[in-house]
Amino acid sequence: KILHFGACRVSMSMTEIRAGFTAIKANIQSRDPIRTLSILSHPQSLHKVKSSDRCCITRHLLTFYVDKVFKHCRTEDSFVNRKISSIANSFLSARRKLGQCREQNNCVCGEESTEKFKQILANYEGLNVTSAAMKSLGELDILLDWMEKSR
Amino acid sequence: GDALLPAPQSISILSTNMKHFLSWSPVVVQGATVRYSVEFQGEYEREYANGSWIPISECSLTTATVCNLTDDISATVAYRLRVRAELGAMRSRWGTLKGFFNRVTTSLTPPLLRVLADGYHLLVELADMGPAFQFRVLYWKKGQESRVQQKVMKEVSSVVHLDTMEAGAEYCVKAQTHVEAINRSSSFSPTQCVRAQRDTSMWL
Repeated sequence: KILHFGACRVSMSMTEIRAGFTAIKANIQSRDPIRTLSILSHPQSLHKVKSSDRCCITRHLLTFYVDKVFKHCRTEDSFVNRKISSIANSFLSARRKLGQCREQNNCVCGEESTEKFKQILANYEGLNVTSAAMKSLGELDILLDWMEKSR
Repeated sequence: GDALLPAPQSISILSTNMKHFLSWSPVVVQGATVRYSVEFQGEYEREYANGSWIPISECSLTTATVCNLTDDISATVAYRLRVRAELGAMRSRWGTLKGFFNRVTTSLTPPLLRVLADGYHLLVELADMGPAFQFRVLYWKKGQESRVQQKVMKEVSSVVHLDTMEAGAEYCVKAQTHVEAINRSSSFSPTQCVRAQRDTSMWL
């Protein structure tokens, strides 16, 4: 699927990523005890981000998941670990494509979206790392829905 | 316990139409059943997870000498693959596939198709090749090769109506696959031509 993030167009295997996430969603969300909090949607939904900022904040979010989230989601379940690997490698591939586009186009973060991303990091750092990582992974469909909305 | 059991040799990968299989030569120990375990490592594991390896449960302690990696090689990045032999408590060293494997190198074969003339209707039937595949179908009236028409199908339904043909005319069709995840296409299938039914209207 070709996704549009501001000036950038990135092909992402959304079907494969969603299939991988759907296969482990219940398992991952069962490991998230704090259901009242959200990492991505608190206090404001991602859908508030301006179209021109989508490219930059998407790159930040892909980096957030690759750098911070996936590595703290290793489980005792080999099947879950395989699906997390599949998603993580897909995010890495997507981030590279977005990075290539970013160099050719201005992929600038506006003030609002910079603030939004800071809030996401603050939400993340407000929990212990494993809970935060599991919660972030459990919210992946929120991110995928927002990314696909940009089609 | 490692030294006695040799590592599997001739490790290779066969990847066709986005289906990926690792295979190796059997390790032979007289009177014993040797088993094998396979692991993979994506770019993410190399760069962000301390070079960790992930076992494939369907290919853990298997007696087969082939392993289907398709579900695990599901990103367009470079993967490393390894297999070892196990016999009781004995384990061989890991045998690692030379170099990396990236699914972008999979070989794509032309689609299987069947072209039908149903009266004046030009139909095509395409074999399903999985969710990663789209199809590009070209069709034209024989003799008018300069006026080729195209239909792109993201999903395969059983039979697709391409065109309404002129009575008695011959029409030709060929198709290729496209995989968006790796941004590559197969070569075209052989061309198939069919003839529309003749005009059956009678002057009264």
